Amino acid sequence: MRIVVLGASVYSETSCAIAAHLAKQGHAPVGALVLSTLNRGTLLRKLGQWGPREVARYARTKLAPGKNSESTEVNNPYLGTMLAHENQFFRSLREIGSVYGFPIVTCRDQNSTASISQLKRWAPDLIIFTGGNILRKQLLDVPRLGVLNIHLGLLPETRGMSSPEWSLLNRVPVGITIHYMDAGIDTGPILQRFELPDVNRSKSLSDLRHRLIAFGIEKAGEVIAGLDQGTIAATPQASLHFIANQDSQFFVMHERLRARAAERLASAHQASPVTMVNG
Amino acid sequence: MTGRITRALTETTGLLRRPQRTVPLVRKIVSDKLRVTFEQRHLYSYTTTKRASGDALNSLVRWILDAQRPDGGIAAYYSLLTGYSQSYPEVTGYIVPTLYDFVRAAGHGEEHEVVTAAERATCWLLTLQSSTGSFPGGVQGVTTQPSVFNTGQILHGLVRAAAETNRPQILEVAALAADWLIEVQQADGSWSGPVAYQNTAHTYYSMVAWAMAELSEHADDHAGQRYRQTAEKNLNWVLPHFRKSGWVDGINLHGHPTYLHFIAYVLQGVLECAILLRRNDAVEMVEKSAWVLLRKFETNKYLAGAYSPDFKDNLRFTCLTGNAQMSCVWLRFYEVTGDLRYLNAALKMNEMLKQLIPVRGPRGIAGGVSGSYPAWGRYQAFRYISWGCKFLADALLLEQRLLQGIETSEYEALACAS
Repeated sequence: MRIVVLGASVYSETSCAIAAHLAKQGHAPVGALVLSTLNRGTLLRKLGQWGPREVARYARTKLAPGKNSESTEVNNPYLGTMLAHENQFFRSLREIGSVYGFPIVTCRDQNSTASISQLKRWAPDLIIFTGGNILRKQLLDVPRLGVLNIHLGLLPETRGMSSPEWSLLNRVPVGITIHYMDAGIDTGPILQRFELPDVNRSKSLSDLRHRLIAFGIEKAGEVIAGLDQGTIAATPQASLHFIANQDSQFFVMHERLRARAAERLASAHQASPVTMVNG
Repeated sequence: MTGRITRALTETTGLLRRPQRTVPLVRKIVSDKLRVTFEQRHLYSYTTTKRASGDALNSLVRWILDAQRPDGGIAAYYSLLTGYSQSYPEVTGYIVPTLYDFVRAAGHGEEHEVVTAAERATCWLLTLQSSTGSFPGGVQGVTTQPSVFNTGQILHGLVRAAAETNRPQILEVAALAADWLIEVQQADGSWSGPVAYQNTAHTYYSMVAWAMAELSEHADDHAGQRYRQTAEKNLNWVLPHFRKSGWVDGINLHGHPTYLHFIAYVLQGVLECAILLRRNDAVEMVEKSAWVLLRKFETNKYLAGAYSPDFKDNLRFTCLTGNAQMSCVWLRFYEVTGDLRYLNAALKMNEMLKQLIPVRGPRGIAGGVSGSYPAWGRYQAFRYISWGCKFLADALLLEQRLLQGIETSEYEALACAS
């Protein structure tokens, strides 16, 4: 199966983990198309998501590896196994590409004509989206099977942003959905959805997100294997009406509500007798 | 057109008479220009401010108290060009419930002053009623023409003042106003003709229906039924104006764009009326519109100052009052449905509005809510408006009350807990 990884940055830990995990499973990508790191849009988005201090820390770690202790660790500890390579961690897609022999192409806009032409040259069966722009139809139509996304919530119940936090607050199961992307937000056909076991083991919201990302990548590997063998098919969300007339899209959660979700998780964690297990 | 020219001349003359007003005017223009130029809005962001809601609330109420004129009425606005306007009966009426709500909310130290302001405002309103029961439109002294909308808005204040003070005289005045509203209501449930703005029926007069429904809760059985029927009749006239897209027809502001303020009026009026009359069909209608606007706010991080039918186009400015009203609508929907997305949107909206309240400045500016953001937008340009302060104060009071509920509720086990 010809797979292309679409990412927000060559240094994205999630993109690296997906590419490395698939390569180790024998599904090495045929290429990766990522936004250039100094892209203004990416920078602003990250500033909004993380804040200036975290962006500066990230830049230090990624742009000057080996010069500080953080370079010997991974931001998401649950991705350690996937990123591990010869007693070190993969730090960028370039490193993975050089080991597994696939090219990395950077662009300023994933929907641009040049990007689409590049993707067509790779003739992918499947594109795996790990971040970047809002994808236009022209790009979505390139791969034979579709563009795959790992959504950190159970679809169709929890679409949109801050999904793990909304799941906690609304007392619905926390999990991930692997689905094809379409023109809507998390509305494309579902390949498979998985509830995260032992949610109570998560110490914090960021720990929960880290676990979900790792869980999602692991499950994506299984789904891709299933697609390759023809044992998995997608189900349109329209056939999964779970609440009549209700829009299940969620938006970025306000810090007051986020604090409430964190509190709820912390209480559950404290009440849980199970000790934390990495992986 | 003549009206606009007259207004422009008056405002310019105001600046010539008091040239020292140039400083805050220029400061406002520069600060809004800088903010508009450098603010970053993207999907993951929302505006935040360190200013606590309680602090913002105090400053809004201080602005309202400062705007109270010697006659007891509240000025319509403070213009950066001409200063305070005359007292405005309509707004004075519906600011009264806000003042009492503020007093009732825990932790404020200005209760006595605020109660006095509410009582002075009520006393002034009582002097304005005509023998027919109606109240005049416009700002004080401009016209004596009876106005349905102003009478309805004043009714909100009278009903609340009667409940707070137990003065039967206030309730009698309210009943007389309500009887006049019944008398001039059309057979189809609308209010139109010379007692309506631009002689036309308007769906945003649902705010009047809400006042009637409120009064019905305080009246005896017979009168209460008449008031309820009037409210229901208007509600039944308004509801067919809701489109599938959530848009509401019949706002009918000839010569003006359909400002968000008026769209929000329709939604608030219908929603509150529907809650009081237990009309779930009407609540559902409003929810569609409220959700469309919520999605727009969450995606764009602001709501436009005006919209064209089906919310397709919009003008590039924000009507802060309309935003505050939508925050109130969303908070009420959270209360009614328990859907936290409404609370979430309102919290973010309130953050955005709080950071636009001037912390410092002379009387009339500090603590005020400008008509438009940026200040030169089409809605009440270069003015801090009293109804903007009223609706934002309402939104912050609601936010405080509802957050108390969510932050003190006991922990319940996770549905997904293993």
